[in-house]
Order: sequence, then C-alpha cells, then structure tokens
Amino acid sequence: MSNRHLPKPRSQRALATATTGLVALSLAVGSAAAQDTVKIGAPLALTGGLADEGKKQALVYDMWEKKVNDAGGIEIGGKMYPVEIIEYDYQTDGPRAGQLAERLITEDEVNVLMAPFGSGHTKIAATVGQRYRIPTLACVASSESVYSQGNPYLFGTLSPNANMTAAMVEYLKENVDGLSKVAVYGRDDVFPKSMAAATAAAAEAGGLEVVYNELYPVGTMDHAAAISSIVAAEPDWVYATGYTQDLILIRRQLADLGVKAPVITMVTGPAYVEFTEGLGELANGVTSQTWWHHSVAYEGEGAWKTTKAFYDDFLAASGGEDPDYVHGSCAGALVVLEDALKRAGSLDGEAIRQALADTDITTFYGPINFGENGMNQARELPIIQVQDEAIEVLYPASIATAELELLSE
Amino acid sequence: MDFAQILANGVVLGALYACLAVGFSLVWGVLNVINMLHGSFIILGGYLTYFAWQMFGIHPLIMLPIVAAFLFVVGYALQAIFINKVVTAPVLVTLTLTFGLDMILYNLMTVYFSATPRQVTLGLGSIQLFGVYLPVVRLLGMALALLLTGLLYVTLRGSRIGRAIVAVRMDRSAAALMGIRVNRIYAITFGIGALMAGAAGALFAMVFPITTNLSGVFLGKAFVVCVIGGLGSVPGALVGGLALGIIESFSGVLLGPQHALTVGFLVMLLLLIVRPTGLVGVKGYE
Repeated sequence: MSNRHLPKPRSQRALATATTGLVALSLAVGSAAAQDTVKIGAPLALTGGLADEGKKQALVYDMWEKKVNDAGGIEIGGKMYPVEIIEYDYQTDGPRAGQLAERLITEDEVNVLMAPFGSGHTKIAATVGQRYRIPTLACVASSESVYSQGNPYLFGTLSPNANMTAAMVEYLKENVDGLSKVAVYGRDDVFPKSMAAATAAAAEAGGLEVVYNELYPVGTMDHAAAISSIVAAEPDWVYATGYTQDLILIRRQLADLGVKAPVITMVTGPAYVEFTEGLGELANGVTSQTWWHHSVAYEGEGAWKTTKAFYDDFLAASGGEDPDYVHGSCAGALVVLEDALKRAGSLDGEAIRQALADTDITTFYGPINFGENGMNQARELPIIQVQDEAIEVLYPASIATAELELLSE
Repeated sequence: MDFAQILANGVVLGALYACLAVGFSLVWGVLNVINMLHGSFIILGGYLTYFAWQMFGIHPLIMLPIVAAFLFVVGYALQAIFINKVVTAPVLVTLTLTFGLDMILYNLMTVYFSATPRQVTLGLGSIQLFGVYLPVVRLLGMALALLLTGLLYVTLRGSRIGRAIVAVRMDRSAAALMGIRVNRIYAITFGIGALMAGAAGALFAMVFPITTNLSGVFLGKAFVVCVIGGLGSVPGALVGGLALGIIESFSGVLLGPQHALTVGFLVMLLLLIVRPTGLVGVKGYE
C-alpha cells in the first residue's frame, strides 16, 4: 500500500524544504554568476489592434540595443555587459501580455521588464514584475491609477496627466480672449478617461464653465448624438480624448454638424502623425498636448547625448519619418535604465530598483526624476498645434515654434 | 435639443447599419453559418477603396462595384474551398472555422496595411435643411446603402438565382429535388454576403476611419441588427439597422453617449425574450 497520502514526518519535511531551498539558492547563484548579458524583457503588441504602437516601441528598442552594443555595452561593477532585448508578441491581448511577462522572467531570466503600450496593459505586466521583484519600466503609461497600486518596482517616464491639463488651461486662458465655456468628451478607457476627468477638473479650478462632460464607450462608431449636444451647449473650447480613429471621426463630425468653437483640443490626436494623415486639412488648428516632441532641445546622459542626436539616428532608422512621444519616451526609458544599471553596480533586481528610484538625470527626452509613486515628475510639457498639416510647438515658450491659431472667431 | 437633428442623425446612421448587416444576415439565414469573417470583409473592402483612392486617385464610387465584385470572388472561393466541407456540421463548427479564417485575414491586414486608421476624405461638407445639419458624405452613404439593400432585395425576389437562394433557405432537400445545385447556391450566397460587406466597406471608408480594430465592432453591430430586425431577410436588416441607429441616437442624447450602446443591447435582449424572430418575423423569403 502506498503511503503517499500520509503526511511526512516533520523532520523529513524540514529536510525536504531545506534541500529545495539550497537547490534553488545554488541555481540562483549559478545563473547570476553565469550571466554576462543584461537581459531586458519586452512583451509587445506586434499584431492586433495596438500593432502600430507596439512596432514603435520595437523600433527604438532595436536602435538602443545596437547603439549600446556598438559602444561595447554598459559598464556594471567594473565589467562591460552587452545588452539583449527579448521581445514577444502578445497580440494586443492583455492576459497574454501577463503570461509572456511571466515567461520572460522565469524562462528567459530577464533583469528588467519594459512594459507594453498603454496604461491597461502596463498594469498587467507590472503586476507580474512585482511578484518576481523585477523592475518594470513603463514608457507609455500615464494614468496615475497604474502607479497608485503601491508597486515599488514600477517606474514610468511619462508625467502625471494632471501636469498637462493644468498647464493647458492656463495657456488657453492667457491666449484666447473671452474663453469661458468648455465641452469635455472622453473615451471611457483608462488613459482617455483620466485625461478627460483631469481637464474638466482643471478647467473648473481655472474658473471655466464645463458645459458638457460625457464619456463615450470603447467601440463607439458614431458621435453624432454627443456632438449635437455639444453644438447646443455652444462651447468656446472642445476637449476630446481618445485614440486616433476616434478622434479622426470626432473631428470630422464636429465639422459636419457645425461646431464653431475657436479651440479644439484632442489628446492624443495630433501627437501621432496618423491623425494628420487621416484628416488632411481638417486637422489644421487642432491643439494637443504631448509628453515630448522632437523639437525640444535637451542635453544629457546615455546612448544619445542630445535630442538632436536621437532625432538624427531616428530618421536614419525610420526611413525619414519623424518620431513621436512614444518613440521619445521609450528610448528615454532605456537611457534611464542605462544610467541606473551603472549606478546599481549589479544585475540584482533589488539593486536595479533602488538605482531607478534614486534617478535624477537629464536625458535627450528631458529631465527624469521618479516621484513617490514611480512616475516622472517633469513639468512644462509641450502644447502643440497642427498648422498647415505640420506640428508646431506653442508652449513652453523656450521651445515654441509658432503662436496659437484660432479655428473661428 | 433639436428633435429633428437627433432623428436625422439616427436615420442616416441606421441606413449604414442596415447595409453593414444585410450580407451577414443573408449568410446566417440561408447557410446557417455565423460568418465571423464579416467584419474583416468590411475592413478589407474599406482598405482596398482607400488605397485605390490614395495611390491611384480612383473615386470611391468607382471602386465600390470593383471591390464588391472582388469580394464576391473571395467569398465564393472561401465557401467552395473551406466552408462547404463543414457546412452541414453543427453551427459551432462553422463558427470556429470562420473565426479561424477571420484571425488569419485580420492579422494579414494588420501586418500588410497596419492598424493605422485611414479614411477617404472627399471634403463634401454638409448641407443645412430646416436647421438640421446633414453631412453630404453620410447622405450619400445612406442613399447608396439603401440602393444596395434594395438591389439585393430585388435580386432575391426577381432573379432565378435569387429564387433558388430563397428556395434553399426554405427547404434544402426540396430545393435539391427540384434540381437546384445546393452547394453552388451556398457558395453564391456566401459570395453575395461578402459582396455586400465589400460594398459596405467602400461606403464606410468615406464615413468612418477604417482600421482593423473596427472589425469586431462591425461584427457586433451586425449581430444586434439581425436580432432586432429578424434573421435572413432584407427588410429585417433594414428595419433592424434603422431601429438601432435611431435608438442609439436618442439614447446618446437623452442618457449620455456612454449608455447608447447599452440601450441598443438591452433592446436586443428584450426582443430575444418577447419576440425572438425580430421585428420583421421570418416567414421564409419574401
């Protein structure tokens, strides 16, 4: 008769636990000692709905990997380590991003995770990273709800949404005479929703009247009903959030249904070249905010010492297409990692985490200094406007390339 | 809030919904196949129209019949090669097959066309009639949607092929005994379904930004329209489409846009309970 269902004697169990522990420890030491490459795991949306965004991340990861390895790698604790970015396609399927993050950590033994695109999927990957005590760098997640979970292993290069919205309200109040009524229309999704809420709050705090404030669900094909209501409210400023296809449709319907607001702001809209391509002339005059624009001029540490250096490298890699904030932020995140690895002096997850938390540097992307919740604290984020189907920077004044143009009187 | 404007928004949108759903409804009704490819067919039609316009300057209205014919061939071939093998199997088998084919088509399009939203911009502006704004491109879309749906109706009623499709729909065995080649009718019906999807795609490329992301949204709308209007008939799709458009328009204004979709689905659920055949009941083909 088998006794496998009976509990083992205490001493035997203790021995088993100790042995398992020792084996695990020796394995851990073994792999750490054997490792001579910095491994970075990146679950990416290379197919499916977010494929465009995923490919943007992949492009700059590739650029950085080549650039760093061509320079001999990163010096960590007196030794040069080449870098390797291991990418898997999670097919724009949230749960799959989590599974692949786990695989990257347990099977590929990566030292750091680069989070996928967007606040929602970043949250999923970062939760896995936290479980294994592996730091996660998020370059395209800006919603504070992602960083408010008390995850000490998560760091994001985008600044809080509220940093953007308050500056936007102030800028418009200064530059638009008689600005008083704002209509806010947001997509009911993590990032667009939080931007809409932050703008409505900032507008009210700034003394504007919020005459329309509604959300539309993911998968809305038509905005005529909402826009008819917006027309009736006669706002001076229409603020809409969503992804590119939503915003193209909303901009078109705003025109079709006769909205005559002098200011139309869309986030992220014009930050992506696809928005202007999709709308043509109708894109003109739309304002937006973004975390980064290639016309900023910063000097700093890492693979690219200046914004110009990054821009030139990028043009060569992309075949002449301009980078947007996704490219900037993701390359910026890797430059931060470069710096943190040098300071950490080892590939231990905890040491890297501590070095990241202590980060206070300027990069080609801008100043980076992670706050309590792990988010970058930068202020003075650019306000941009489409003029003649090209992007002009309106704010901050130090890098402005044009003045605000109103859509109608 | 202007009642007429809301109603006009709803009717214009509803006609587009009808056009979107009619091919899906036909395939479901005649073949008993839930064609998961329908949404991606629409996107494919939209992309082809867009690229023809952007690269060669071909007007979408000229592309519409070309795209429709092309998708007919694609649909006919898919049915003849793949779906016919399992067309008499339980509905879950054909659903899984079309779902798999959809994933292939969806990802091929994402890889080769990318998921960037693209739209044909004709810049026709809008006209104002009794204080109601009517975007010209949407009016054009509505007119074409109604025309296409009407053409399909006439074809099914008047032509030999149409009568054969209706016959197969009503009684497959009897139709076979009358000398109708059922497999061929199946392939033609599937082809017509794809044709209507392609035509809808060409229309939508003028009205909506087309991206692969939308294929699931289009498919979902087609489901709701079919259930509200009734399955397998042209008038059913038309009534269902208009009803959904008007419901969404009014609930969007009265309850807020975030509830417009919910109300559409609630109406669908309600109809499933009290009138499972939809507003226009199924009595075979008219």
